[in-house]
Amino acid sequence: MKCTQEEYNFHQRILGGDPVAFAELAERLYSDLVRETGIRARSRSTVTVEMDLIEEAVGQALLDYNDHPQRYDPEQASMKTYLVMAAYGDYLNLQSKEWRHLRRKAAPQPAKEGQSEGEREWEIADSRQDLEALLTRISAEELWPLVEEAFPDHADRQMVVLMMNGVRATHSYARVLGLSGPASDEQAREVKRVKDRIAKRLRRLGEAHDERA
Amino acid sequence: MSEHNPSLKRLAEMAEARPGLMSGLLMLFRRQESMDEEQLAAFLECDRGDLPRLALCRRPRPAPRFRRDIEEIAAYAGADPTRLAKLVRAAEVGEALRGTPAEVRRPPMLLAARDHEPPQVEAEQVAEDAEGAEDDSR
Repeated sequence: MKCTQEEYNFHQRILGGDPVAFAELAERLYSDLVRETGIRARSRSTVTVEMDLIEEAVGQALLDYNDHPQRYDPEQASMKTYLVMAAYGDYLNLQSKEWRHLRRKAAPQPAKEGQSEGEREWEIADSRQDLEALLTRISAEELWPLVEEAFPDHADRQMVVLMMNGVRATHSYARVLGLSGPASDEQAREVKRVKDRIAKRLRRLGEAHDERA
Repeated sequence: MSEHNPSLKRLAEMAEARPGLMSGLLMLFRRQESMDEEQLAAFLECDRGDLPRLALCRRPRPAPRFRRDIEEIAAYAGADPTRLAKLVRAAEVGEALRGTPAEVRRPPMLLAARDHEPPQVEAEQVAEDAEGAEDDSR
C-alpha cells in the first residue's frame, strides 16, 4: 500500500458514503495540494504559474475524486500523489484551454459590413491585443524564448504571463509590481503604464519576428 | 507563491455543480429563501466561516440513514440538526420541482414521505415543513 494510514482511512470512509469524510479530507489536504501542484507546475514550465488556475485545477481533482473514489487505487500511489497528478493534468488542460481561447480571440476577423480595412485595423490595434495577435503568428513554444529575451526582468515576464492568461484584474498586476495597499487610481495608472510599455515591446517583438520570417 | 492562500470557500463554490454534495442544496435554499450567507448561517445557528465545510459534506442519505447523517453533518459544521434537516427537505422539494438534478427527481410527496423515522430530529415536523415549502413554491 502506497498511501498513509490516514489517507487509507479517508478513502475507506468516502467509499463507504460517510457524509463528512470528503469535507474533512478537503480541509486537511486542500492547501497542501495547491502548494504541491504549484511546485510541480513550476518545475515543469518556464512560464510563471497562475495560482488561480492551480487552485481551480486542485478543486476539480478533489471533486472528481469524490465523484469517483473507486478510480483511486491505494496500491498504486499515495492519495496526495494521485491528487497532485490529477490536479496537474487538469491544470494543463485549463491552461491550454485558455491559450486556445486567446488564439481564437486573436484570429483575424472578417471585416464587418460597411467597415473599411482602415477602420478594422484601428479596431484591432485599439483592443490592445498585441500579445494575442503575436500568438497567431508565433507558436506558444516559440514564443517563450523570445519573451525571455525581450523581457529580462522577472516581474515583466510575470506581467506577460498574466496578459497571456487573459487576466484583467488590476490587483493581480499590482501584486506582481509590488504595489501593495488597496486599489487606487494611482495604482491603476501605474499598472496601465507598465502594461502599455509591455504591449509596445510585444508589438516590436512581433514585427521583428515577421521581418526575420 | 507563498502569498497565495487557497480557501475552502472557493472549493465550496465549485462544488455547487456537484449533485452529491451539500453545496448545491445550500445555494438552492438560499435562493428559495432570498438569504445571504450571514442569514443562512443564522438560520443554521452556525458560524458563517463554517459554511464552506458544511457545503463540502455529502448530502444525507435516504432513510434509514437520513437522521444519523444529518446529525453527523450538523455536528461537523456546528449547525443545528433540526434546522439542517429542514433546509435539506425544503431544498430537495425545490429541486424536485425544478427537475434537477436527475437523481433526486421524484414527486415531492414521495420526498416528504420518504423518511418515517423516530422523531429524534423531528422527522415528522421536517416532512410537514417540506410539504409547506412545496406549497409555498407553487
